[in-house]
Amino acid sequence: MRSFAHINARTIDEAIALLRRYRGRAVLNAGGTDLLSALKAECLPRYPEAVINLKTIPDLDYIREDDGSLRIGALARLSGIASSPLVGSNCRVLADAARSVAGPQIRNAATIGGNLCQDVRCWYYRYPHHIGGAIQCARKGSGPCLAVKGDNRYHAIMNGKRCFAVCPSDTAVALAALDARIHVAGPEGDRTIATIDFFSPLANALRPGEIVREIEVPKVRTSAVQTFLKFTVREPIDFAIVSVASVVTREEGVCTDARIALGAVAPGPVRAGKAEEVLKGERIDGEIAARAAEQALAGARPLSRNAYKIEIAKTLVKRGILQ
Amino acid sequence: MASRYRFIGKATPRKDAREIVTGTTKFLDDRKFPDILYGKVLRSPHPHALIKSVSKSEALKLPGVKAVLIWEDVPDWKGGTPRCFRLLDRKVRYVGDAVALVAADTEERAREALRYIRVEYEVLPAVFDMEEALRPGAPKLHEEFPENIITPGVPFFGPKNLKEVAIGDVEKGFAEADVITEGTFSYENMPNPIPPEPPGVVALWEAPDSVTLWVSNQASYMDSVILSHVTEKKVRVRTIGGPCGGSFGSKYMSWQVQCYAALLSKATGRPVKLVLTKEEHLAAFTLRPASRMSARVGIKKDGTVTAVQGTWLIDTGCYSMTTQSQVAVGCGEVQIMVNCPNWDLKPVIVCTNRNASGIVRGFGGQELKCCLIPLLSLAMEKAGVDPLEFMKKNFVKPGRGYFWRDGIWYVYRGVDYTKAMEKGAETFGWKEKWKGWLTPTAVDGHKRRGIGVGVHGNADIGEDSSEAYVRLHPDGTAMLFSCITEHGTGQVTNYIRMVAEVLQLPMERISITPSDSLINPYEFGPAGSRGTYAIGSAVIAAAEDARQKLLELLAPRLKARPEDLDTADGIVYRKDDPGIKVPWKAMAVDRTITGCGRFDPDYSLTNCMMTFIEVEVDTETGKVALTRVVNATDIGQIIDPPGLENQLNGCLGSAGIDSAIFEEMVLDRSIGRMLNANMIDYKWRTFPELPVIENVVLETPFPSHRFHAVGIGEIATSPGPSAVLMAVSNALGVWLHEYPVTPERVLKALGKAGAGKGGAA
Repeated sequence: MRSFAHINARTIDEAIALLRRYRGRAVLNAGGTDLLSALKAECLPRYPEAVINLKTIPDLDYIREDDGSLRIGALARLSGIASSPLVGSNCRVLADAARSVAGPQIRNAATIGGNLCQDVRCWYYRYPHHIGGAIQCARKGSGPCLAVKGDNRYHAIMNGKRCFAVCPSDTAVALAALDARIHVAGPEGDRTIATIDFFSPLANALRPGEIVREIEVPKVRTSAVQTFLKFTVREPIDFAIVSVASVVTREEGVCTDARIALGAVAPGPVRAGKAEEVLKGERIDGEIAARAAEQALAGARPLSRNAYKIEIAKTLVKRGILQ
Repeated sequence: MASRYRFIGKATPRKDAREIVTGTTKFLDDRKFPDILYGKVLRSPHPHALIKSVSKSEALKLPGVKAVLIWEDVPDWKGGTPRCFRLLDRKVRYVGDAVALVAADTEERAREALRYIRVEYEVLPAVFDMEEALRPGAPKLHEEFPENIITPGVPFFGPKNLKEVAIGDVEKGFAEADVITEGTFSYENMPNPIPPEPPGVVALWEAPDSVTLWVSNQASYMDSVILSHVTEKKVRVRTIGGPCGGSFGSKYMSWQVQCYAALLSKATGRPVKLVLTKEEHLAAFTLRPASRMSARVGIKKDGTVTAVQGTWLIDTGCYSMTTQSQVAVGCGEVQIMVNCPNWDLKPVIVCTNRNASGIVRGFGGQELKCCLIPLLSLAMEKAGVDPLEFMKKNFVKPGRGYFWRDGIWYVYRGVDYTKAMEKGAETFGWKEKWKGWLTPTAVDGHKRRGIGVGVHGNADIGEDSSEAYVRLHPDGTAMLFSCITEHGTGQVTNYIRMVAEVLQLPMERISITPSDSLINPYEFGPAGSRGTYAIGSAVIAAAEDARQKLLELLAPRLKARPEDLDTADGIVYRKDDPGIKVPWKAMAVDRTITGCGRFDPDYSLTNCMMTFIEVEVDTETGKVALTRVVNATDIGQIIDPPGLENQLNGCLGSAGIDSAIFEEMVLDRSIGRMLNANMIDYKWRTFPELPVIENVVLETPFPSHRFHAVGIGEIATSPGPSAVLMAVSNALGVWLHEYPVTPERVLKALGKAGAGKGGAA
């Protein structure tokens, strides 16, 4: 790690002002579990001059119910979300996604805002500086994405463009299925971004000086079956190869509503709209689930080493529907 | 049956248990040295390049920076077999190769200084694949090896040292075979055993020519021997070993790290600490050799092997320190496992532009068998032979023999392991579960179960030499002089246990010297499974010698002959009348008695481990779950029950069974970089995923040492990987021949994962 200024922010406004003052040369710490490893690897294109600590902002870790929505402060810890009765009873898929992240110690420190904004895990992007220098790439603003011609077993099978790293966030997948909205504070005022629009191939949707303030999750009908399935190489402490969040409502065996999001297959969570359409109005069985799974992956364009992710994704979609 | 022994085979707390559990053990990183400097290494961005110029003036201007060394500044110290690999060279041969060394008064400053060293390179073409490296015109790594083939042989193993397996007449053998199969098989995933404590050292140079190294390696005495050779015996090297935070073979030597620190200390006159980061440990330290074999085997329908012929390519990375040794031992081990009169197996050690291979438990034999057993399996399937029966029939039996690493034929004189294998098979339920080749044990929807078996044996249990002293004190205590460090197996306590048994002295009354090469005699260290028989024999002999001298000294006092006396609990007494006795103090308060012990190599014994594996494969995701492991062995006499259990349970990780499931280093073969040099991307099993492991241990007395035991720990990892491949192949009904069996490979084998667009990685 190199030297940097460490500033404890007291308010969101102060944090925004600090971001402006450092003009892109400061990073935010909302838990640090991902940030510290990137700082230690010195893999970032430009080493930050300052780390702005958001954890000192009071009262930003709430989880509360409000007008048919759950409102979750950006600093709510993943362990708190995983064990919250409010989250568990209203949007279990989010609790399950939060619980699937890393191990207990990390979940005790990591926050939902940080989980949404964490940097990608692409092994070219993350290559440590002290073993011959960090690797330059499209995401860092210079050169091609090395994964395209290299070892891309964990990379995107859809929507990749210039950068093929996948979104590493598990909670984002659940939030996408829940139609959650991300409330952002910034120098130009507040705005709201749909989860699905928060991610793009080269970066997230935050503009300079913006900070995630709150996540708003519309409540789900209590009869909906919510499932989060995450496929990893090893069970605990691993990032998803593929994950699927599904929220499926049935009335007398017939699907009235289906929301399915795929994770770790693209730069952001992907809503499987066509698969959802296949299910609606149908009696759910293995055959319809398989058809929906085919539709969910219809747009996949794998790279040289990651076609297997399509098969795993189809399996998870199917299993999620049949839960 | 009541045990014959008072200490041997009894579960007692380890001597170091309290300190380890309470976190007070002083590992290398916990030790404080006044005026210490911190060393760091600038590493090459290129897999192959010449250093044209280096500018270090800016780095030297930084406050706190005390030295910057490059190849022009250092003596011509060389490692490697043969010794031609310069510590710092004008040429770099892998991404991460050392270019410059820095010492500064803090770690941060040393790291910062690296950024101020300007290096100009002339980039050379690089080669990352063995067969490409062997082609004419391939990039050449070393002037000394024009074809990228490292000179075979290990002079240390003697004039006839084993370079291949060449026995009988293979053509005759193939003519006798009922079934012949051939193919190319590899074990190239280069798993790293990743001991929790990375390689590191503190060095203090004292002018004109001596250096003291504080080390945390597996064999601290050998660190001094190796460095003495590297420096062409121009430097007097003293090593002081401390607790070793794991090694699994890989920290048997770390001469480069030690030399870096020694040279920085020489340049600054101050102690220098140099500890690798986890990333350096994974990407710039040694890995398991990569192994690829193209071969042909002939077998008969009764499981008799008639011929083995082939070429075994071993990728050693940018140089070899021990790969020839691993090849020699592997060539010996394969004969222990396969009883065949006709062999023509030619190893070729190839260098490529990646970090070097080095010692990892399994030491050559695991690498070779992970290639050979899949080939033998094809033949067994054709011939309709059950692999358990094949292994039982072929594993060495008393009276049969093998050429060992020194090229000498040894006749095996140990126990017949058939009983242990059968007991293991019974515990596992092999007979009920085995449904034939490529046939699952059970199918439940998309979940399919399959079983496999592997076997390994190593005659290294009696390899190399050990020496020890035991000193008896008038106050009824004893001290063991042995240059061994505790590397996690509990063996230090076990040597004390052996001394206790010989002297009939409570273990609390026996201490051990620090593992300082200055005060202790020669010790090859706990390499392979030699701890129990080889080191143990030296320790036992020293204790027996001390006891004999004690009895001789006190015999006149008790008016008896030495052979009529015995000792227990610090008392010497007459066997015919224990009431006639004197305490050890009778030797005189100004006297000690020292016994000496030595073990000379004996390759006529081998250990054996058979591992049974059951897996469950999800055919929709390609996930392989290890559901059950049964290890079976016979070790003569259990010395330390909980220690043994821990060793056998260690079969999974440290580049063992899991090297067939998910452990691998990922090298990008177009840019020469290791992509997963961190503990998230290097997949490693965690405790929540431990399978059921059962260990079947028989105790048929061995003609080894006084307690009839042999060591086993090292080989716990070795039979498993090929057994996993066998189990997964059986579960799916399709052969899988690549390690590890990732979801990608399983789905591909099932025809469920086509190729996408993009490169060829």
